[in-house]
Amino acid sequence: MAYEVILPKVDMVMETGTFVEWLKQEGQQVVKGEPLFTILTDKAAIEIESPASGILAGVSAKPNDVIPVSETIAYILAPGEQQPERRRSAIATRKTNKTAISVVPAETSAGAVVVEPTANPTTPTGKVRASPLARRMAAELGLNLDTLSGRGPRGRIQRADVVAAAETRATIRPSGMSALKIPLPDARRKEVIPLTGPRKIIAERMAYSAATAPHITLSLYVDMSEATHLRASLLEKIEESTGQRLSFTAILVRAVAAVLPRHPFINASFNGDEIICWEDVHLGIATSLKDYLIVPVIHQAQTKNLEQLVVALADLVERARSHRLSPAEMSGSTFTISNLGMFGIESFTAIINPPESAILGVGKIDKRQTEGEDGLVLKPMMNLTLSADHRVIDGVAAAGFLSELKATLENPYLLL
Amino acid sequence: MSDQKTREITYLEAVREAMVQEMRSDPDVFLMGEDIGVYGGAFGVSQGMLDEFGPERIRETPISEEAIAGAATGAAMMGMRPIIEIMFMDFLTLAMDQLANQAAKIRFMFGGQTSVPLVCRAPAGSGTGAAAQHCQSLEAWLVHAPGIKVVAPSTPYDAKGLLVTSIRDNNPVFFMEHKLLYRTKGQVPEDLYSIPFGQAEVKRPGRDLTVIAYSNMVVRALEAAEILAVENIEIEVVDLRTLKPLDEATLIASVCKTGRVLIVHEAPLTGGFGGELAALIAGGEAFDFLDAPIRRLAGLDIPIPYNRTLERATVPQVEDIVAAARILAKEGK
Repeated sequence: MAYEVILPKVDMVMETGTFVEWLKQEGQQVVKGEPLFTILTDKAAIEIESPASGILAGVSAKPNDVIPVSETIAYILAPGEQQPERRRSAIATRKTNKTAISVVPAETSAGAVVVEPTANPTTPTGKVRASPLARRMAAELGLNLDTLSGRGPRGRIQRADVVAAAETRATIRPSGMSALKIPLPDARRKEVIPLTGPRKIIAERMAYSAATAPHITLSLYVDMSEATHLRASLLEKIEESTGQRLSFTAILVRAVAAVLPRHPFINASFNGDEIICWEDVHLGIATSLKDYLIVPVIHQAQTKNLEQLVVALADLVERARSHRLSPAEMSGSTFTISNLGMFGIESFTAIINPPESAILGVGKIDKRQTEGEDGLVLKPMMNLTLSADHRVIDGVAAAGFLSELKATLENPYLLL
Repeated sequence: MSDQKTREITYLEAVREAMVQEMRSDPDVFLMGEDIGVYGGAFGVSQGMLDEFGPERIRETPISEEAIAGAATGAAMMGMRPIIEIMFMDFLTLAMDQLANQAAKIRFMFGGQTSVPLVCRAPAGSGTGAAAQHCQSLEAWLVHAPGIKVVAPSTPYDAKGLLVTSIRDNNPVFFMEHKLLYRTKGQVPEDLYSIPFGQAEVKRPGRDLTVIAYSNMVVRALEAAEILAVENIEIEVVDLRTLKPLDEATLIASVCKTGRVLIVHEAPLTGGFGGELAALIAGGEAFDFLDAPIRRLAGLDIPIPYNRTLERATVPQVEDIVAAARILAKEGK
């Protein structure tokens, strides 16, 4: 029997996915579990496995198609089997995610005639009802009509709806990324990359954060001598039990997870007219992939010991780099750690990852002159720079967190 | 116009003045029609003209519209510039063969060897209780006949300037005069002036909605605009002035500006000129600027009743324009 290949819902809030590419070709034999196609959600590019074994047929999705969840995009057939006729209902769901407002056609009272089209509003045309002006404006603004709802008769999207959507977007993107047109250099172009998927999300969220959250940054150096000793003495033991090498990042994650619960405003979200202080520490670990940055999340990091964190970290990073993370594992962090030490960066200021209210930028561990008991000595020092949203966190609160983190890392045995 | 002396006269007087002044300056111009001499025309348009120009140039005719139009066509071919008055636009049907098949076609049939500089004037429209055979607006019949121009002014100023242009045009022109406009007044220069064909006029600028109208519906649209302005709905009233040739550019520019358009005419909806305008707007440059469906407000598809209440209910009134424009202006906002 023909098996329908549908666009899967890989995320709770996902309504559509952008089709990236088929990894198999029409007519090719596929085996259940083999990577079949790639889609782009708002968060990441995801490989989808074949749901059955057979011959790939009736391929309808094309690169860059925006496709509603559950829509059939191909079939997997047994040898010699005919492709079934495409189900009407599946196609009709395309682009009908909006609320259809039913409005009685207008009539004028007197004898004069106003001609009003009397199309049946319940007929599923599968197309968006929008005025020509609204269509043109949406196209110019790069707005997807599917995502708008119309206040016109029968839910028609009109100018006012597009303007409202553009204004909403402008508040999300206050830097006016598309509004401000700065002349481009007159230079030969090597490549033009459309702003889609994760890159688009990164662009939107970072601009939003930079523009709406008043950032304050605090910086200090941590003496990593004891942490270095700790790591050296635990390295073999942990490698034995977990198969993973203990990294400074893991020690740092453990320290942050231990300290954060005592600093509720650092582990918080600014949510319009309220501030939510989180009980859980969902630690985001900024991880760079080839094309973009993702933030895999260690959920409830405050409950995990060092070994568990080592395992969780290794697993997340490994799966992130092979694009096998689920969307849930890439979102929902309450605090983020971004470590660029491995690239020789001494210190840097990070942009807060909204809706978090702070992010920790971690530099390399470097031998530096510091004052020891016998005068100036060289010690392994590490810079920590905290960027905090001043709407939520005052300087003293940020300093309190950072100094406790420093004290913890300088006496890391408390973490065990 | 600023340095010309103007004074307030009626539309009817403006029509008469255009004829009189053209007849004074051009001996080839003459007027022909029923009861236009001693009686001064059914509505008094030609009152006094017999005294000034005599029966040679103010020619009373038998009751035969076909004969009037045919004789005028022949005279025009022979070098005269006849103006004919059809007592009611409804009677145009009787003159249609001469107008549509002869006057409008002769220049083409004879390869341009002759032309027909003829003006046919007629009072049109309802509002006088004259019933189904004396109230019609048949402009759509004429715009559908290639070879004849159609003019439908709404103000005394436009009436005089456009009638002068009509008389001076070397091809047949139909000049539509709404009966209710005859008594309307406006500033008109004393001297001769002409208004070119194919130039619509924005009679009132507005941001929310374009109302396209001609003839008496311009007057009603302007009244409606006053009422709507109180509600902060600003309608732009575009007066076509000439249906053929048609000033597409002004229409399109206005619709592009407002994004919404209501077309108003008194003639019945079905087959009316409004359909042509709607297609023109939807099919051209303005399409991408439309933010609501093109709407038409027009007369009912029925013979105009004699009963005054029913007559009133048959064609768009000011309140109908207000209601239709209000709905359209608010749609989706």
